[in-house]
Amino acid sequence: MKDPQTHSTHLELTEPAPPELPIGSDLVVQVKVSCRSGCDLSALPLTVTGPDGQTATIAPGPDRAATSADDARDVTLMAPLAVGTHAWTIRLPSHESDGILHEECTLPVCVTTRPHATSLAVWAVPSPVVMRERFRIKVGAKSAAGSGLGGTKILVSDQSGRLIAQGSLRDTPWPGTSALYWTEVEVPAPNREGMFWCTVNFAAADIDTPHERSSSKFSVAIVRPPEHRLTIEVLERDSKAPIEDAQVRLGAYRAATDPCGRAEVAMPKGTYDLAVWKVGYDAPVQTVDVHDDVSVQVEAVIVPPENPDAAWLM
Amino acid sequence: MGENGIKRGPGRDAHAVSRRAFLSKGAAGVGAAALVGTGADEAAAQAVKWDLSVDVVIIGAGVSGLAAAITARDSGASVISVDENFDIGGRGMLSGGRVHLGGGHALQQKFGIKDSADQVFKDWVRHDAAAARYSDRDLVRVFADENVASFNFLTENGVEFIEKPIGPEAASTVPRTFVTVEWQNKDEIYAPGGDRNGSGLVRRLEQSARKKGVQILLRHEMKSIVREQARSGKVLGITVAHPGGTLNIQARKGVIIATGGHTGNVNFRRTFDPRLTEEYQQACLPYVYQGAKGELAAMDIGASLWGTANQTSEAGAAITKTRHIGCRWGYSSLVFQPDSKLFPLAKATGLTVGDWQNMIFVKQNGQRFWNEVDGSYRFFAAAMAHNGDPSKLNGGGPIWAIFDADAAAREKWDPKPPHVDPDGYFASADTIAELAPRIKNPHQKKPMSGAVLEETVSRYNSFVASGTDTDFKKPTPMYKIEKPPFYAAWATPILHDTLTGLRSSTNGEVIDIRGEVIPGLYCSGEAQGGFAQHGLARCVTFGRVAGRNAAKGAA
Repeated sequence: MKDPQTHSTHLELTEPAPPELPIGSDLVVQVKVSCRSGCDLSALPLTVTGPDGQTATIAPGPDRAATSADDARDVTLMAPLAVGTHAWTIRLPSHESDGILHEECTLPVCVTTRPHATSLAVWAVPSPVVMRERFRIKVGAKSAAGSGLGGTKILVSDQSGRLIAQGSLRDTPWPGTSALYWTEVEVPAPNREGMFWCTVNFAAADIDTPHERSSSKFSVAIVRPPEHRLTIEVLERDSKAPIEDAQVRLGAYRAATDPCGRAEVAMPKGTYDLAVWKVGYDAPVQTVDVHDDVSVQVEAVIVPPENPDAAWLM
Repeated sequence: MGENGIKRGPGRDAHAVSRRAFLSKGAAGVGAAALVGTGADEAAAQAVKWDLSVDVVIIGAGVSGLAAAITARDSGASVISVDENFDIGGRGMLSGGRVHLGGGHALQQKFGIKDSADQVFKDWVRHDAAAARYSDRDLVRVFADENVASFNFLTENGVEFIEKPIGPEAASTVPRTFVTVEWQNKDEIYAPGGDRNGSGLVRRLEQSARKKGVQILLRHEMKSIVREQARSGKVLGITVAHPGGTLNIQARKGVIIATGGHTGNVNFRRTFDPRLTEEYQQACLPYVYQGAKGELAAMDIGASLWGTANQTSEAGAAITKTRHIGCRWGYSSLVFQPDSKLFPLAKATGLTVGDWQNMIFVKQNGQRFWNEVDGSYRFFAAAMAHNGDPSKLNGGGPIWAIFDADAAAREKWDPKPPHVDPDGYFASADTIAELAPRIKNPHQKKPMSGAVLEETVSRYNSFVASGTDTDFKKPTPMYKIEKPPFYAAWATPILHDTLTGLRSSTNGEVIDIRGEVIPGLYCSGEAQGGFAQHGLARCVTFGRVAGRNAAKGAA
């Protein structure tokens, strides 16, 4: 019997595997199978041996029969749930047919896995906050894998890095989110006025699968205790009709007008720029001197809604 | 030498000689000519067999094309109008129907508005109005003198107006804008329920044109304009491609280019402003594409552009903010609702912005670039400024509106399909850090960093807390972006007006790069340069002018 003719074979990835990917994620690589002598190997199966030593056979797809010898095929590798460097071996077993022996060849694929990313959201931060008072904020943490984070801790530190508050995430996600686990935390305000930055830290400990820690910062305007009450009345200039839901701002101080067009702000003595904002109205910024309980009236002018089809400018 | 420095004599003589010489060689079918269209080599020119023959061929069945067709027909010419689209109207079909005609027409008189042709001219050559400053005053004079006739033309051809004057607008000093009545059949308009009153203008002109015998060939795309020689002689007709093949259409008296403008053609529009790279979408897509096809075909046979300063005068609606974010084509008041026949292409209605305070805008890199409530050309300059990407020096890259659940509640938005297009124009996430990498769009060339976007948002939130935007002086930034979930919506400025185009005589004859008339070739509408007025009035007026003169066969 005549010895078969031997052809060497080759496996390669069309693109290098990413150096790092999250644990437990699927990595799809494209493997190019070729014969040095140009034979079509698209009908031959591959095997993949994973980091756990298990071997699976990757059968050629139904559309492979008509593809060229150089065509690549998709192979899905599932990363383990452990952090570290993992190796797979993709193998083209030797195969003899029609007097030709295609030699076995192998292709190692190495990937390093990292923990799942986490990220944070901080909301409902009141503004402003009176110095030395306590205020409540909401904090949410999210696993990129959507893992349940209920019961895990978040920590709040001030801008010097001192821990000032902590909380434990609840078991149900914030409404409207896919998996943002949240809690409410009470935070003490510093004892001097100004803008302060705090940092929320999520250690991502005590979760079934490894997660990266994350942090997020938020700012809070700290003010002196109020001394007086400023009453703002916002009226339409010509009709004198009250304007409801107008946003009122005096630096860090904020309010919105009620159905009577009135808003009240408790604030310390000082001189403030009063800005009023509502779509469809224009009101000039005015300076207000708060030396006692004071009332001011703001007259806003109606700005006719711009016809979007009349986009002409001079 | 005539108006505009246009030379007539030599060009005409050359045409006369060459045409006689050509015809003496014999003709096949209805007639034959040298094909010198796009990319053709004169030496290799081949004989054209005319499949159809009429007096006047009009390329484009939009507002100016329909006006030209009716006028040419009224002047006794046989007319074929071709359009590459599946329906008529061009951008007029989707316009607000605001027709800015004055001069003292009947509807102005009804409201006691004193106006005259001289006043129209005086207004539209004002040096203190950027929308008028750069226009060719010979063309403005024609426009002014034709205003009343254009208004009468519209009403005589069935166009109805809402009897409410609007204005003065732009350079005008008296009210001149009247809005056409929307087309009554909702099945025959493409953005139903959106006050697309321009549909009433184009449908009624279409109705009149067909009644008068204009043959309209839809899905017929002009491929070239046929001239006797590459750069000389008379224009003889056009070649077109259609689903069944090709056609050569002879124009015994004239070809009128009424193809619309160039706004959608990235290569062409960058002639005037190199910043206008591919990320800037064209208003009125996906209905009608403004591809500069008329300009290019005319330039292939020697035509010149004109009044190009108008395109970059930074007046008018050449570029605007997207009023509807989270969709690809969020122009002005134009919304494609789910019941629109075009919705499968448009894919989302967009989220209509009521208050620009409800969001920040960031570039591809996740950083803010300007005060978000500004809508001036300073905003657009900042949006188109270099974004720091060394691989993209022109254009500013995509602009994304970033907002939170509170903003969605204030705007009463439901940020889900069909209101947004998650296929590249909208993303949402539980945190800002997760939102950034979810922004995926062909024009987002590099992934946005979650850390950078987080830094941008936390810095902006500190401005809201303090009441002062120290970066871009947004007047009293009102609302933090803090409450999950978070959203990113496409908000890249969108392009609208074409404000320059082909050079023409006051008769609408196209002029070549040496200042000579190209015999038998006319232009109107947004393909015509020299008069930068926004909208429909100039399209109607110069469509009539071109139609009238083309029907004469010679100006």
